[in-house]
Amino acid sequence: MTLISVLIALFVFPGGLFLIVAGLFYQWFNRKLLAVLQNRIGPRWFQPFADVIKLLAKEEVIPDGVNPYLFIGLPIMALAGALTAAVYVPIAGIAPSYGFSGDLIVVLYLLSLLTLCIGLAGANSLDRFSLVGATRTLTQLFSYEAPFLLAMLGPALVAGSWQVGKITAYAQNHWLILTQPLGFVVALVGLMGKLEMPPFDAPEAHTEIVAGALTEYSGRGLAIFDLGRAVELIIGLTLVSSFYLGGVANLPLFVVKTLLLLFVMVGLQSLLTRLRIDQTIGLWWRYGTLLVLVQWFFMVFA
Amino acid sequence: MENKITSESFTIPMGPQHPALKEPGHFQFTVDGEIVTRAYVRLGYAHRGIEKAAESRNWVQDLYLLERVCGICSHIHSFAYCLAVEQLAHVEAPPRAQAIRVLVAELERIHSHFLWMGVSAHEAGFDTLFMYSWRDRETVMDILEGLTGNRVNYSANILGGVKFDVDDVQAASIRKGLDFLEERTNHYLQVLGKDAMFLQRTRGIGVMTRAQAEVLGAVGPTARASNVMRDMRVTAPYSAYRQFSIRMMLDSRGDLEARFQVRVQELLESIRLIRQILDNLPQGELSVHLPRRIPAGEAAVRLEAPRGEVFYYIKSNGTDKPERLKVRTPTICNLNSVIRLAVGHQLADVPMILAGIDPCFSCNDRMVTLADERDGSERLMTWSELRQHGIDFYKQAAK
Repeated sequence: MTLISVLIALFVFPGGLFLIVAGLFYQWFNRKLLAVLQNRIGPRWFQPFADVIKLLAKEEVIPDGVNPYLFIGLPIMALAGALTAAVYVPIAGIAPSYGFSGDLIVVLYLLSLLTLCIGLAGANSLDRFSLVGATRTLTQLFSYEAPFLLAMLGPALVAGSWQVGKITAYAQNHWLILTQPLGFVVALVGLMGKLEMPPFDAPEAHTEIVAGALTEYSGRGLAIFDLGRAVELIIGLTLVSSFYLGGVANLPLFVVKTLLLLFVMVGLQSLLTRLRIDQTIGLWWRYGTLLVLVQWFFMVFA
Repeated sequence: MENKITSESFTIPMGPQHPALKEPGHFQFTVDGEIVTRAYVRLGYAHRGIEKAAESRNWVQDLYLLERVCGICSHIHSFAYCLAVEQLAHVEAPPRAQAIRVLVAELERIHSHFLWMGVSAHEAGFDTLFMYSWRDRETVMDILEGLTGNRVNYSANILGGVKFDVDDVQAASIRKGLDFLEERTNHYLQVLGKDAMFLQRTRGIGVMTRAQAEVLGAVGPTARASNVMRDMRVTAPYSAYRQFSIRMMLDSRGDLEARFQVRVQELLESIRLIRQILDNLPQGELSVHLPRRIPAGEAAVRLEAPRGEVFYYIKSNGTDKPERLKVRTPTICNLNSVIRLAVGHQLADVPMILAGIDPCFSCNDRMVTLADERDGSERLMTWSELRQHGIDFYKQAAK
């Protein structure tokens, strides 16, 4: 592979620029749909782009008492992690640019890097809202991570490979949502937890702790975290829909399936009340993990 | 912002500027992990000196000033003031005027309870209910605007009566709006009582027993949700509530769910009462004449505002201005319960508990509490004492 194609894969498509633009578009879709379901008008299509551009242009205030290297470095690391994950995932229906056996684990942990960075960013600050937000972010990470991982390993088990590309190829001929419905539910709800969408938005519950871990962030740092979330949204949707919804063989299928998945998630967001952090943990360890284990039980013995 | 981390306690400030508070107030919650171990409130950020200002305006001007004590329950303040002044002047508003006053007061209660329902749903992170209840609230706002010409400060009262009449066309449009509101209220009653996710946030949270409610002096729906019979419209009926009686809504559970149920059932009761008033509106004049100078004397009235009992005391010395005017609003009575109930709960429940009493800070800021951080003592200062203290302090500093 030549240097130019490597650079394109990393910075233009499927990584980098394309992902950022697509992620922001999906974010708009999320916001607009939620607004319509809540009887509001909602933002225009370019609002997420305008938000990011405005934030990038603004001054970044580094508060007293934080480690400035960490403060600036954490958002970059979060975005870099999310973008790196993209090269192992079949974005836009095109087979992953790279792959090795076991890259599924790497992708999942690169996605967790974002949450970890947000938690560390909160803990790095002296602000009390940030500290509580960071505690909640990391607590939530430990609650949904295991069930979500188990739910993503279900398809890997039947495909006989832990490589995202191979699982996707297998899933194109098998609608795993039919054979592993419990796994799909846990993966879907786990994705909502990963993205800190309502009802799992306790880490940034603004009526309690303002903006949670990112309270002290402004300007560039906040914009980069926001981009990281947008990228994670699209990668998460791609993973779940390619594993469970019969694969994403081409661009139209990719768009339809991921937006359909997002539609379901928005519906859940508008219906449910925010869970307290103790209720979130209870939900995941009492029901989420149990559901996946039941699924595994059937896969092994049936 | 100063940072207070000691080995055992971690204090989270809320306010004066905080997204959970739509008005300025300051709360400090000491937490152990997520559990609140100590709560502290400080008020005074919305002090406007209204009581003092009332002493320098004449009786008619005060009507407009006092309507602005609160931005949500504006009518009840001018209602209370009018009743007290009419008491001093030994006149009574005509029956039709009294009925219209109560009509507007109940419409205001509907608008206030819908607003509160939206705010508390938002505190719980249930934004869909927030958006829908505020959309429906527009109906009652439109009714009030059609009736009085204003959406917030209705300016319905004048001393000795009311300013406007209710004709058949208006009555028809009110009935139409009420039909819609009744349907929606019944829907919300179901949602609040059945939605499992929402019940997780309200059932058994912030329980106040009847004994606690009586000791803490809770008023209004907050007290009624703890089975305390405290509703001025029933226990001491005033104005047209003597002819049009209202049922008191009680609940014995005392938790947040009970506070939701009591308020939503009050909505239905208010709708019923408004229909009854519209059907039986007494005929007659809208106002009687009141002298420019009010005879010397003292008057005290107690009314049921949407949030609870509001108390007015007026002293007249026979001139065209009041000598002393004292207002006590329901929030100051209920804040005690927040401070007491928050302890032992999760931090995440605190905004809900606070919203559960439907706090209104601009109403109650008339006295200043000073807290000494060093020895933990607190003392009360009146506005004039504080003003003098400020002058003395800077005089000394200049030396």
